[in-house]
Amino acid sequence: MKALIYLTKRSFINNLKRAVKKPSTLIALIFAVVYGGFVIFSLGIMAIGVHIDSPKGLLAVLAVWSIYGIFGNFLGYSSRKGIIFRPAHAHFVFTAPIDPKLVLISSAWMNYLFSVIIWILVGIGSLTVFRIPVMSAVVILLAGCVLELAFEISVMVFLYVNDRVPEKVMKGIRVGIKIFLAACAAALVLYFRRNGLTLESASVLLDMPGLQMIPVFGWQIAVYRLILLGPTALNVVCSILYVVMVAVSVAAAVRMKCDGGYYEEAAKFADDYAELKKRQKNGEMVFGMNGKKRTFRRVREKIAGKGAQAIFYRQLLEYKKEKFFILDKITLVSAFLAAVLSYSMGDSVAELGAGQFFLLGVVAYVSLVMSGYLGKWESELKNPYLFLVPDTPLRKMWYATLMEHIKALINGCIICIPIGVFWHVGPVEIVFCILIYVVIQADRLYTTVLAQCLLGDVFGKTGQNVLRMFIQTALLGVGVLVAVLAGIFVNMDFIFPIVLIYSMMVTVAMGILASLRFETMEQLV
Amino acid sequence: MLEIQGLSKSYGKNMAVDNVGFTVPDGQVGILLGPNGAGKSTIIKSIAGLLRYKGVIRIQGLPARTVEAKKVFAYVPEIPNMFDALTVREHIEYVRIAYNSGITDDEVEQILKEFEMDDKQDKLGNELSKGMMQKVSICCALAVKPQVILLDEPMVGLDPAAIKKLKEVVLELRDQGVTVLISTHMLEMVEDLWDIMFVMEKGHIIGSYTKQDAEGRDLDDLFFAMTGGEKE
Repeated sequence: MKALIYLTKRSFINNLKRAVKKPSTLIALIFAVVYGGFVIFSLGIMAIGVHIDSPKGLLAVLAVWSIYGIFGNFLGYSSRKGIIFRPAHAHFVFTAPIDPKLVLISSAWMNYLFSVIIWILVGIGSLTVFRIPVMSAVVILLAGCVLELAFEISVMVFLYVNDRVPEKVMKGIRVGIKIFLAACAAALVLYFRRNGLTLESASVLLDMPGLQMIPVFGWQIAVYRLILLGPTALNVVCSILYVVMVAVSVAAAVRMKCDGGYYEEAAKFADDYAELKKRQKNGEMVFGMNGKKRTFRRVREKIAGKGAQAIFYRQLLEYKKEKFFILDKITLVSAFLAAVLSYSMGDSVAELGAGQFFLLGVVAYVSLVMSGYLGKWESELKNPYLFLVPDTPLRKMWYATLMEHIKALINGCIICIPIGVFWHVGPVEIVFCILIYVVIQADRLYTTVLAQCLLGDVFGKTGQNVLRMFIQTALLGVGVLVAVLAGIFVNMDFIFPIVLIYSMMVTVAMGILASLRFETMEQLV
Repeated sequence: MLEIQGLSKSYGKNMAVDNVGFTVPDGQVGILLGPNGAGKSTIIKSIAGLLRYKGVIRIQGLPARTVEAKKVFAYVPEIPNMFDALTVREHIEYVRIAYNSGITDDEVEQILKEFEMDDKQDKLGNELSKGMMQKVSICCALAVKPQVILLDEPMVGLDPAAIKKLKEVVLELRDQGVTVLISTHMLEMVEDLWDIMFVMEKGHIIGSYTKQDAEGRDLDDLFFAMTGGEKE
């Protein structure tokens, strides 16, 4: 245990020192804290706005948390993916003479920290938003930090250490839980659609006696009812059952023997997690780990093209081997956004008129949201062979990024055409919006290369992104300003052509500058 | 002593290691050889306690998964993985605490000096090159003061001076009665080190020799004679 404490303490101190030395990390940390505070404050305001700022309101929130928290933990821990292990754990901790159960429990400290923070926030919210008496708020906090955490740890130990239940059975249970949770979500949506999203309707749902009688999460809800609304025969009995269940779970977890069998999955998880972090750091959009090797389609085709063209045709061949060709997660997000915006805002935008400007806003917003995403082209710069191709830097850059422009065109069409049609935007403006989207995406690529070139690895990805956003906003912002002024003082029809032509000019200039990066592998910095 | 009896491990339907058994006696250097995919890494990871397996693995007579066995066992993996936020010295300090090894500060200094890491003690894990990580990994294993040590491709990434030093260290350990098992592809690197060799193919041990049985024959002669390949 002393070794694990030493490990955690030294890592924490060194990380803190590093954060203080590296301004970008510190700024990101401060930003995250401020943003987190803002989100929590907004949620509090929202709770007051929808009139759930009462004990019953808090009960509703905790009931949902209870259902999704318990099953979410089960899903994570049963697939042995709920605790973050690093490859260094496999090297130095799993092989060390430390009780594997202790390794498990201590490695999940981040999970406990998260739970405790959530419960402290619940405690603060109880007093400030939900108007709960101080004593009840303290008891809620204690129940969360002691009872729930003890139960979570017991479940975690049971699911990680247990080698008796076959994996196939566990997989079946996981699928069942996912279906159950999806059904719960659907049932809740349907219920509130029919009865309205009011405290009264939620109250009727929560007052159903059967709910508290459901083992585990129902009993947990009974504990909250007891604390928040006072005792009834039912919630007292169910609360006792919950406490007994937690005590039995803890006792079982303590007695369970563990010889470190879970190290196999934990080591695999550590490798997958390290790979995920690496890909995320490189700008790829990765949503999760499946741990399976990627499969490719068999394509028998030769790479055509000469000189720098070979880069494009090689990328094309790689995409042909992909399951969905050049369609990726960005395409999916674009389609989702288009569907949501077309359906939800169609009437109100049509009513307001000037849908073309809203569409332009959507294009700008989507470009901003997806600005962190980088495609295959980015890995080109890491391959030395690119610099050995006997061709001009400008051609190399063009062919290395051409596929990204084609992808941007497809995504632009997916976003702009359905939204444009539903919002009654003219075809010419839709075409303008698509082209502007493509040009902004191209500008993003070239500015990223330029930022990499100027900053190198000195300020990391964050620094590069900040510089890129600064250059992009400064240059494109001028164009938008000119276009708006021309629109106001001359003719509104000028806005789209001015934005497009100006963006193209800026993008071409950035492209020429960025092509310098394709001259040599060494960066300027 | 390191004893392996009836070790089997499968990944799904693929049997990676099938009923393997061998022993490396006290104070001897065993080498585990075999082509890619033979099952060497699976055996190594099983001994290190990183995989579930069928069969028995004993370290100094104790079941390998027990805390007591792990106290006298050190492992140098093929790919070293450092804690990003721990310095070189803190890695060794962690090992000293975890194993309660009793290694003194002077001995730590000595080990670090031998592997030319004494001036890099304050470097963080993520500031090290692969070769340096490998050296730290070896230093940490030595800081355990083990009775059984397992080295998986230990020469990969090391500079010539470190390879020379590692060979000397292996021989010193052997002289102190430590059991050493080295898994490697680099036959010429372990030519002067081994006492007993095991050759694996397709999940089985297809042959083994002691130094006496080999009667002075080269390691690659013995290896290719067993695997049927050709010596280059």
